[in-house]
Amino acid sequence: METSRTGAWLALPVYSAVAALCVAPLLILLAYSFFQVSFVEIIKEPTLKNYARIAGSETYRWLILKAFGSGLTISVVTAIIGYPVAWYIAKRVTVMKSAMLTLLLVPLYTGDLVRIFAWRMLLGAEGVLNTFLMWTGAIREPIEALLFSSLATHIVLTYNYLPFMVLGLWLAFEALDDRLLEAASDLGAGKMSAFRRVMLPLTVPGLVAGGMMVFVMVVGDYLTPQLVGGASGITIVSAINDLFGTAFDWPLGSAIAWTMLAILALLFCAAALIVSRSTLGAALTSGEA
Amino acid sequence: MGVAGGIDTRTQRDGGQPLLRGKAVLKNYGSVQAVRGVNFEIAANSYVTLLGPSGCGKTSLLRMIGGFEEISSGSIELDGLSLATVPANRRPINTVFQNYALFPHLSVEENVGFGLAYRNLSRADLAAKVGSALAMVQMTQMSKRRPRQLSGGQQQRVALARAIINEPRLLLLDEPLSALDRRMRKDMQIELKDLQRRLGMTFLHVTHDQEEAFALSDRIIVMNHGLIEQQGASSEIYHRPASAYVADFLGGANLVAGTIRSAAEGSASIETAIGVFEVPALEGLKPSSRATLCLRPELLRLSGKDGIAATVTHTVFRGAYWLIEARASNDQQLSAVIDDSPPNAGASIRLTFDPNRAWITAA
Repeated sequence: METSRTGAWLALPVYSAVAALCVAPLLILLAYSFFQVSFVEIIKEPTLKNYARIAGSETYRWLILKAFGSGLTISVVTAIIGYPVAWYIAKRVTVMKSAMLTLLLVPLYTGDLVRIFAWRMLLGAEGVLNTFLMWTGAIREPIEALLFSSLATHIVLTYNYLPFMVLGLWLAFEALDDRLLEAASDLGAGKMSAFRRVMLPLTVPGLVAGGMMVFVMVVGDYLTPQLVGGASGITIVSAINDLFGTAFDWPLGSAIAWTMLAILALLFCAAALIVSRSTLGAALTSGEA
Repeated sequence: MGVAGGIDTRTQRDGGQPLLRGKAVLKNYGSVQAVRGVNFEIAANSYVTLLGPSGCGKTSLLRMIGGFEEISSGSIELDGLSLATVPANRRPINTVFQNYALFPHLSVEENVGFGLAYRNLSRADLAAKVGSALAMVQMTQMSKRRPRQLSGGQQQRVALARAIINEPRLLLLDEPLSALDRRMRKDMQIELKDLQRRLGMTFLHVTHDQEEAFALSDRIIVMNHGLIEQQGASSEIYHRPASAYVADFLGGANLVAGTIRSAAEGSASIETAIGVFEVPALEGLKPSSRATLCLRPELLRLSGKDGIAATVTHTVFRGAYWLIEARASNDQQLSAVIDDSPPNAGASIRLTFDPNRAWITAA
């Protein structure tokens, strides 16, 4: 009794910090989303007009869909690239394992902008890739579509968020007992069958964890599309940014932010439900075996 | 297993051929030799134990037979056919892994039925086979559970059912009982032996526990430092050990160092600090070479006035019998087993034995 009370007191700063720094701003945002703006004045009369405007606007609907579409695409692409990489680091690298993991994370220390500009140098009309292709004679004119296109955005997003997918998967592979694969092969499973029936199901928690991280970060990333996406670079997040800044329509910005938040929360609940319902819930909660 | 390209499990063997034969099997891990060129034979329908201390190479040998490790040199043959090019999933050999390696994401019945997916079975046949395999290990009630919901003994049974369901020619068991408590281990030993007899399957069981080896096996292969020290029937290994190491590892023997005075066919005379004895001996011992006299504790008897003089150091009550520890001349430790009325510590006693049941082995 005494210790639990002490524990509660000790936890108080954490709860206060979460309440003040995380919950409160979101609640303020939520309140704003029901207000209206008239010229530069905020009218504090609750209304659902902002949400109705979002639902009625083709542009906003399209931007929201595009954000989640990008999130999904990048999650899938990073999963496909990251899966063998994570397997290799967890199961084949022994001595240099921490060095490999550090190497994986080093680009993250350089900051978003530096990495994005690095890609502009690579993909630009006079960039490394075009120059090289022209030098080899493969092309005569630089491929303009390499930069300032949706393709460029997706290449850079994949590059930026791949490490997070690899980390999630790496943890899942570390927890995977190799003897289970031996057991599968002992019972007659070939390599593909052992992968499908044992390795893949037991690493899905890693795919889900990595996928969720990548998904959220891609949905929230507006710098990358803005800097390498060209005309395609407008995102729902940059729209929110504009509404809070130049347009001075905080209520509408708040409403869009909350719409995104609600959809994300729903998606997460669905994912959690699927994982816990599936046979993987067992593997997730029981850890190793 | 009956997989195309694998080995036909129903090939009839000719009479004299062993089921499994290893020829000069060698395994290197980098510069370390785990198995140093061993020859062995395993007869069909027998229960064979691979016995040795940890690091003796027994698990490496088992893994090579199962197909999980490549052989560095030498060959392993099943029914006279080399297994060199047969991958693990095509070998008519199944394994009960140490710590069981049950699939955590599958239920008990899915675990047991895992290997049946590679045979063309109807849904009904599959269910019937899983059902009978679970019944065989008394786990029918648990078929829907997940491995983590089972006790160690229950997981053991599931692992066993999963391995025997494909009716392998050879079942490998890698320290299968080491994770169980003592009571459970005793029960499972009886069940394993019983199962082997009922199925008429060949079991190769790896263990470091000599009691377990005796309880289960028809034959024992004793390994040490990557070599086979001795292979033979359990009683032969116990009563006629080929080296002092085997005698010592099998436990309990009084080992008395000495020198051979003379050797005849099947017996020898040995001079030791506690006397000169003429008893059955290992072949090939040369006069004046070092050798070891093995006296099992149950062989030594208290006697009136003749025999080896010794002083009792401890008496230990073991329930069914008393174990007496005594010190003879030259500080030679001797232990003896007697039924009742043990002498007190410090008492002077004399010990005799039936010379026909003693044994001289290599030093």
